[in-house]
Amino acid sequence: MSVRSRVRYWLDEPVPIVRLEIVRIAMPLVVLGFMWARVTHADHWLGAAGFRVPDLGGDWRQPLYVPPLPAWAAWSIGVAMVASGVATSIGWKTRASAFVFSATLFFGALSDRLAAYSVSKLSPVIILALAIGPAGRMLSVDGWLHTRRTGKHWKTERPSGAVRFLQLLPVTLYMASGIAKARADWLHEPLVLYSQIHGSYQTPIAYFLARVIPRPLWTVLQGAVLTFETTAPLTFAWRRTRPFALVFGLGMHAMIGLMFGPVVWFALLMITLLVAGYLPEPLLARFIDLTSRARGPRGDRSSTSSRRDPARRARRATSREAS
Amino acid sequence: MKKRTREAFERSERRAAWTRRASLALRTVAVVYLACIALDGGGCSWPARGLPRPLAFFTQVAVLFPRAARATIDYRAEAWVCSKNEWVELDTRPYFPIDPNDKENRFNRAMHFFRDNRKTMHALDRYLVRSHDERPGDDGIDKGERIGGVRMMSLRIPIPPVGSQFERYQRYPLAHYPKTERKYFYRTPESLRARRCGADLSEGD
Repeated sequence: MSVRSRVRYWLDEPVPIVRLEIVRIAMPLVVLGFMWARVTHADHWLGAAGFRVPDLGGDWRQPLYVPPLPAWAAWSIGVAMVASGVATSIGWKTRASAFVFSATLFFGALSDRLAAYSVSKLSPVIILALAIGPAGRMLSVDGWLHTRRTGKHWKTERPSGAVRFLQLLPVTLYMASGIAKARADWLHEPLVLYSQIHGSYQTPIAYFLARVIPRPLWTVLQGAVLTFETTAPLTFAWRRTRPFALVFGLGMHAMIGLMFGPVVWFALLMITLLVAGYLPEPLLARFIDLTSRARGPRGDRSSTSSRRDPARRARRATSREAS
Repeated sequence: MKKRTREAFERSERRAAWTRRASLALRTVAVVYLACIALDGGGCSWPARGLPRPLAFFTQVAVLFPRAARATIDYRAEAWVCSKNEWVELDTRPYFPIDPNDKENRFNRAMHFFRDNRKTMHALDRYLVRSHDERPGDDGIDKGERIGGVRMMSLRIPIPPVGSQFERYQRYPLAHYPKTERKYFYRTPESLRARRCGADLSEGD
């Protein structure tokens, strides 16, 4: 098979929609957790009550000047953000709510550069992918209403560019982040990790580890993180190394969340993407079979266990090539 | 009957064609987005130069903790108290209530990004003075006291050596830190302080 055919096959191959549903359920909650401090002070965040950076007329640090909103508008956006986020998470009018949620997140990130972090920049794109993709078909209010109306379940597998995008996103982030680290200090400064765990982000766990971990181990951990990030495209692409990469990634983000205070929301965002994108199919299959059993005998019963049948995969690939 | 079937068939063909085009467009956008993230991480400035700035902003997500910290940085402010003719620490947290106790606070972020931008620093100066005068919070200065201006600084607290016993980070009053750890970035011009206080100033800084 040529590279192009392989890519097309990979993109068009039916994938378990539950991957998208994991993101749909967990991501809005993570994002709202991050945004909560902002939303509860919406008049300071988006309105005129707080400090606003003036219009700097094209300064590189100000991607777009958005004038302060009246207090009522700032609070309205906060309420819309929370309502649409909750609706997306429970899968109620999923597409519309995800579009609204994504729009409020885009606005929030652009309106206030001072309160914008990686979560602010990544989350609108991820939620937009949910809005475009077939999210809200399983474990959702929409799915339940559909079944009640038609007597059928939506398919649990189908081709989805959104799932593929959400699988590629963390790997691209790791690779880019690893390259940036290697180009900066991580290859010649032995204590970059240690130097980052002081200051106002420091949690009790970080404080404890800063005192007990010996100097060489900090350098070993730093090397392990750098290797993991720069090789992520290979380790996540190759089936044999994927489980190890997944476990390392989850462990790394768990430690980041435990050691860096407010960075916990970014850690949870990445954990959600990793679990949704790379949880092994046997585990997903078991989960889908369980939910299918709970949903009863109606509708589509295909599950990922049949996708693991090599004969079926080969037949599908052959028929696709022939077509 | 045949005509109706053909119309339905053509309609579904047209819809399928549009779906294919939309799918191709979305895939292209996704590839460009991911490529921009990768290029930005690699230090390439094409995305920043080629994309409109609001779009490029959303691709600048990968460069996380690339450099070793030389010191723990904290940003603080002092206010010129008119009645005392002296600088007193001004706790900015009541006026920046989002994440008040860590460096994700908007005052810290304003200082981090814009400390060398005079226009923003003047705006910050005005905001702090006005906030204290109009809706004073628990900022360390008596509510009745007028303030004429602010000076803003970073604290550069040394990172303890590995393996040493040290105290966990906590926020201390400014007086706790030696003068060598303070770096001033902005001070309200003396003439403006005098005008705001409505009197001559004795200190000649």
